[in-house]
Amino acid sequence: MSEILSGAQILCRTLVEEGVQYLFGYPGGAIMPFYHALGDVPELRHILVRHEQAAAHAADGYARASGRVGVCVATSGPGATNLVTGLATAHMDSSPVLAITGQVSRPMIGRDAFQETDVIGITLPITKANWLVQDASELADAVREAVAVALDGRPGPVLLDVPKDVQNQKAEYSPPRAGARGQRLTPRASAGTPGSPGLEEGVREAARLIVAAQRPLLMVGHGVILAGAYAEIRALAERTGIPVITTLLGISAFPECHPLHLGMPGMHGEVHVNRAIQHADLILGIGLRFDDRVTGNTAAFAPRAQIVHVDRDPAEIGKNVKVAVGIAGDAREVTQRLIEAVAPRRCDAWWEEIRGYMRVRDESWRDGLSPEAICRALFAVTGEHCTVVTDVGQHQMWVAKLFPYRRPNGHVTSGGLGAMGFAVPAAMGVHLARPDEPVWAISGDGGFQMKMAEIATMVQEGLAVKMAVFNNGYLGMVRQWQQFFHGKRYSCTPIWSPDYVKLAAAYGIPGWRVERAAELGDVLARANAERGPALVELVIEQEANVFPMIPPGGSLSEPIETAPAAAAT
Amino acid sequence: MAEPTHALSVLLDDDVFALNRAVGVVRRRNLPIASIAVGPSHIPGASRLTVMMQTDDAGADRMVKQLQKTYGVREAELLRAADAVAREVALVRVHAPAEVHQELTEVAELFKAELVDEGPDVFVLQVTGAAWFILSFIRALERFGIIEVARSGAVVVRSAAPTSRPSSFAAETVL
Repeated sequence: MSEILSGAQILCRTLVEEGVQYLFGYPGGAIMPFYHALGDVPELRHILVRHEQAAAHAADGYARASGRVGVCVATSGPGATNLVTGLATAHMDSSPVLAITGQVSRPMIGRDAFQETDVIGITLPITKANWLVQDASELADAVREAVAVALDGRPGPVLLDVPKDVQNQKAEYSPPRAGARGQRLTPRASAGTPGSPGLEEGVREAARLIVAAQRPLLMVGHGVILAGAYAEIRALAERTGIPVITTLLGISAFPECHPLHLGMPGMHGEVHVNRAIQHADLILGIGLRFDDRVTGNTAAFAPRAQIVHVDRDPAEIGKNVKVAVGIAGDAREVTQRLIEAVAPRRCDAWWEEIRGYMRVRDESWRDGLSPEAICRALFAVTGEHCTVVTDVGQHQMWVAKLFPYRRPNGHVTSGGLGAMGFAVPAAMGVHLARPDEPVWAISGDGGFQMKMAEIATMVQEGLAVKMAVFNNGYLGMVRQWQQFFHGKRYSCTPIWSPDYVKLAAAYGIPGWRVERAAELGDVLARANAERGPALVELVIEQEANVFPMIPPGGSLSEPIETAPAAAAT
Repeated sequence: MAEPTHALSVLLDDDVFALNRAVGVVRRRNLPIASIAVGPSHIPGASRLTVMMQTDDAGADRMVKQLQKTYGVREAELLRAADAVAREVALVRVHAPAEVHQELTEVAELFKAELVDEGPDVFVLQVTGAAWFILSFIRALERFGIIEVARSGAVVVRSAAPTSRPSSFAAETVL
């Protein structure tokens, strides 16, 4: 049963068909027909952001929290280019985001028309696929294909560029045909890697190595969260007693409070975690990509270990580290098979050895307002269902290591791209996916100022995101690098902030400034209980560092644990 | 021009976006590229992209895996000289006043080049072969005065008898 609709109406209709509920966007000339049609579609709720980058991050946050495709909309030219950082973030962190951009009308393309940019060309390397829709009759299938591609295999962003005259063009619209979805998707992505053993053989070999290992480690990443393999990872760990390491994006794939949880590895991993890696004889890596922030110098990474690598994306296996066994497959399915293939065992001696690596670092914080105190107080207030969305920098590392995550997939951050300004808008998307649970956006004073304009979005749209700002008056992580590696020359890192309490008041939301640990519990509880957005400024030690630290390109065996002596002048 | 170590052969959907994505995977590595050629394949709706390039085996393996997951790419493989047959075609416009016709024709015959177009003072010669052979032909024509050269870039197929193949593209024998 077909009908004649405009391209813009077809776009709305197919988005509803695909189960889309929220659009994060910003109107403009070349996307106006779509916004006009949107007025007749109550199923689609549009969130008007204050900058298109926020739309992309919000769609990303929604996608990560819901497992469904997150949608952002922008006009041509500057609207489209403003999406780029958000799409690159989603690309690096495997998040299914669909971007819809207006484009100048077909006869104007290629003539440097007003607000024309080649957004297809610009986003080619940071999307799984993108399409310039040439005719309204192709629009419905293009949306269906785009959503299918975004979610297929290893998820990622896609973009549809729709010329304004195509949005206005009338075409025949038909509901989806059976089997039409993702018709161009190849099954190859889920098959085994060429040259690597098949699933059965890989699992058998991995199980043999697990049984034989004296010092095995389980390293889990974002792939476990994407596959929802929480129960399987836990069962595998409990069956074997193997210590579990969670990468930055793997945090909240395994309960932090579990006795088998070891911590985060890599550049800011605790000494005992990295030392365990350097002493391990087997690393079972599931759903991670052995990023350079995890491995440090790959030549010196885990020198005694054989590596079993399980990943959804065959191109990841053997990309960064040499693997003994590579298994291309879904984390949940492969882990389930591993559980069946390994006999129960324990790792008592190995645990004993790792406990010997543990140490307490003596760090003092002015008025006790330490990241640890903040994370403990926030957890006490928010309970077990909180999602914490972090930005990029020192606070990100502190929160990653210190917040006792319990909610599966309760930690959302910009890992691969490290995009400052992510937390505040992404938290809006997370909130819409989890409207009944507390959602906290934690930023530094740098990242927060990049995207604090989105408070207006929260107020206008009624999004109850709680915001905390770690304010140390510096771009803290860059300052830390300057202290360690650039002779303590704090070039352009001191950063002024407005009065955040007054800022909150200007937006009509409650705001607090916390300067002493004693105030934490009360303020965080009041902010958390607010029905709408709320802002908490945390005035922390100015020149605190994230310890330990592996210098970039350094070996995990050689952490920096104290600040260097002041440079001779 | 870089001496290629590998021939990348990609079967992809017949559209310019798929081509752009596939070339993008190659381009981002900033590896030396000797030639790029693209044209229809034996499969309707699919093109064959051939890139002659310098890389190492590990880099080649990573690139092929990334191409294999690229939207619009159907197959990708990197062939070493020992596994591949590579040939290209060149068209050469050369000065050809009457007094050199005899000599030019002899050079062309030596290289099995074909006279595909001729004017009062200009010949257009077509030559086919491995890259070094084309280059030799062009050198041989230099003294007549080359006006313009257009080379197709190499196209490649997997060898029918890999064990008999030379170990580098430069060592290719003609015919």
